[in-house]
This record gives sequence, structure tokens and C-alpha cells, in this order.
Amino acid sequence: MEIICQDLSFSYPEGDHALFTGLNFSISGGGFFSFFGLSGSGKSTLARLIGGLLQPDSGQIKKDGVVNGLLSYNTERLPGWMTVEEHLKKVVCPGRELLLDELITRFGLRDFIEHKFTRLSMGQKNRANLVRYLVQDFDLLIADEVLANVDEPSRNSILAFIKRRFPSKTFIYISHNANEVALFSKLIFVLPQAGPNGISSLVVISGLDAFGPEETDHSIVGDKILEILRASSQGHW
Amino acid sequence: MRLLQFLVIFLTGMLILMSVKYLAGLSDYLIPPPNEIVVLITRKSGDFLFPAINTTLVAVAGHFLAILVAAAVAFLARTGSRFANMVRTAAYNLQAYPVVAIAPIVFIFLGDGLASRLLIASLICYFPLLLSFLGIFSDPVTDVEHFFYQTGRLDSLTELAIRTFENLDKIITVVAGSATLAMVGTIVAEFLAATNGIGYVIRKSLYQNNLAVILASLFFIGLCSSMYLMAVETAGKIVKSRLLR
Repeated sequence: MEIICQDLSFSYPEGDHALFTGLNFSISGGGFFSFFGLSGSGKSTLARLIGGLLQPDSGQIKKDGVVNGLLSYNTERLPGWMTVEEHLKKVVCPGRELLLDELITRFGLRDFIEHKFTRLSMGQKNRANLVRYLVQDFDLLIADEVLANVDEPSRNSILAFIKRRFPSKTFIYISHNANEVALFSKLIFVLPQAGPNGISSLVVISGLDAFGPEETDHSIVGDKILEILRASSQGHW
Repeated sequence: MRLLQFLVIFLTGMLILMSVKYLAGLSDYLIPPPNEIVVLITRKSGDFLFPAINTTLVAVAGHFLAILVAAAVAFLARTGSRFANMVRTAAYNLQAYPVVAIAPIVFIFLGDGLASRLLIASLICYFPLLLSFLGIFSDPVTDVEHFFYQTGRLDSLTELAIRTFENLDKIITVVAGSATLAMVGTIVAEFLAATNGIGYVIRKSLYQNNLAVILASLFFIGLCSSMYLMAVETAGKIVKSRLLR
């Protein structure tokens, strides 16, 4: 599996300058990758370009070996007229019922599975939404702040589980949390602050590719976080 | 509550009318005394209640017909296709014609029976319903539809279910609002040319200059309209509470 962005340029029609200009980068193989950047740096736009929801002004995005690519984001909602359980059972891909059951337990959905979506807390909503994507037939999942409202211990446990359970799938995880990005990612693609001509290159930092905070040295994590934050603030501080 | 609102409005209207009558010294021939109206409403209620019920039943049928047709047309016209644009333009243009102006054509072709009353009742509440449904059905609910779109499951029925559910409050409001329009449409049709219903009673009394009968008719129209509005609103609340429970 390989995603290659070649000479990618994009600007919003209502924007006064380009967001990306001649951007090149590639993501190869399965694993956990992240996009990191300050608010408004263009992470979600880049995700939507890769997901095909937006079309670049010029350049191209090749997705070799991606048969089923999905994009999920944190404000998504389940249909309000059915319970979470009814919805999940309806949308699970055939043959993945056991996986669904496992995810319901692992993601802590069991206690509110019979509730309707509107009755859930923000964190519960995020988890229920992510579960339904994980029981689809996919080889690439772009997850745009999908755990934004989930508490940190649960988030760490969910990310560790996803990495162990889906080692061959490609995840592009978008987050504002430098700590989890540093810990879990194989590679971190940092979007610097855009100049007047937009972003023309990403800063690629190798992550710790770990399965949780307990197995890594805090000082190494701290250094990595600092490196990521410095890269994201280029042109800002 | 609706009944109480109606009674307050009707009694206020009567009070103003009677004040004008007695302050200006108008004759009983022009504005009948209150006891005459009370006698009509209480002792001869059958003369008004049955035509009013007849009118209400036609209005209910016309209202349902309009809801079904408007929903179906809006569903077909919700996309950005040529057909959709044509339906939208036609709907906007046609609603500019007052139904009262079209009514004579309906009576010429369909006569003065049930079909004309039903059609005019439907027509008068159809366009507001169609425009609301068009707006609701053509507006994507991205946060809910995204998953279905991504996984290739967003068929027309799913899209319709999502957009209907997400706009339930708007739909209930517009359906309840158009209920009174259906009632108005039926009465207008009866007043113009039909031979049945409370509108026909009003037309006959107009020829006899009998204001007491007109006022008694208005009382029963208000009573039936309030009851129908109440029924529609209650049905809306039940549907909503069942879906959200």
C-alpha cells in the first residue's frame, strides 16, 4: 500500500491564499501514521484530499494498493432513531460479528449499547463512531480527531488495541495531542504554519511506534514531543 | 389549549362586535343580538356541526393527499438533476397563482361535488408543504450521511430517513401549519361553488344577509379547526417521542 502526493496544490475558493503549493510526500506500507499541526494548519483538508472528498487544484494523489479507503471525523453522528447496538449490527460487514463484539467490549461500549446515540456523552459518541468504521472492509482509515473527546487513558488503550488488532492496515491519525502522536506513530507528518504561498513541504518525524506510555522512557517521549511542537510552529514563533 | 385559545379569540371577536352594535345603536337586522347567536349555537347545533364535520373530513383527506404528493415530488426533486430543477421552478411559479383564481377551472371540469372540494383543499396546502419538503430533503445531513456515503450504503431511502428524522421538528411544524390551510381551502371551495359543507352554509346565509348563521358557522369552523390542529400536533408529539425514546 502506498499513498503518493505529487506536486499537490489546493486552495479554498473563498480563501485569499493557497493552503498547499506543490506539496510532495508519501506514506508506504501498513501501520500507524499521523498528521500533526496547529489549529487551522490544514490537517483535515489534507485528510479530505487523500480521502477524495476534496479535489486538488493541481497535482495528484496516487493510492496504490488501496481498495477500500475510509475517512472518519469526530463530529459524525449515528442515526438517532435506532440504538447504538441496532445500528452497529446493521452496518457490520458480514463475517465480522465477532470482531464487533470484541470491539464493543474493548472500547467500553457494553454499558450503553442499548441507548440511542443522542443519549451518549461526547466520548462515548466518538468511540461508537470509530467502532463502526473498524468493522468495515478497509485497508486505509483516515481518522480525523476521532477520539478528540475521549479521556487519555481510554484513548491510549484504544490506540494500542487498534495497532495490535489491525497490524496490516494503514491508519492516518489526525490529532492535536503531541503525546499520543509521538508515542503511537510510525511516522509523524507535521504541517508547519502556512506562509503566504501555503505549505509546500511537511516535516516528517519518526515516531516511537509504541503500544502505550508504560513501555517507553518519559525523557525520550518528552524530546519527541518537543521536536514535533517545534516543527509545527515553524514560521509561527 | 388550542380549544381554549380559539374560545378566547371567538369571544373577544364577539365582544368587539357587540360593543360596536350597542355603542353605534345598530339594528338587530344588521348585527343580531347575542342571544340569537347563542340559540343557534346551542339549540340548532346540528345544522352547523354536521356540515362543519363534513368540511373537516374533506380537509383531512385533502391534507393527507397534499402531504403524500408533496413528499413524493420533493423526494424525486431533491437532487440537482434537470428534472429536480424543473419541479422546483414549477413549484415556485405555480404557487404565485391564488388557488381561488384556479378554483373555477376545477369546478368546470370536476363539478361541484367532493372531488373539487378535495382538490382545492389539497392545492391550497400543497405548495407550502412542497417548498418545505424540498428544502428539507435536498439539504444533506453530512455528519450522519458521511458514514453511509463512505461505505457505499447511502441509498435513497436511507438518505430520506436521515433527512426526515433530523428535520422532524420542522416537518411537524409545517404539517400542523398546513392543516389550517387545508381547512381554509375546503371552506373556500364550498363557498365558491360546492353544495355541501360549512362553506356552503355560509354562502346561503350570505344571500339571506343572515349574520347570526355566519357567526354560528364561524364558531363551529373554529371548533373543528382547533380539534384537527390539536390532533395533528398530538400525533406529531407521539411520533417524535417514540422515535427519540
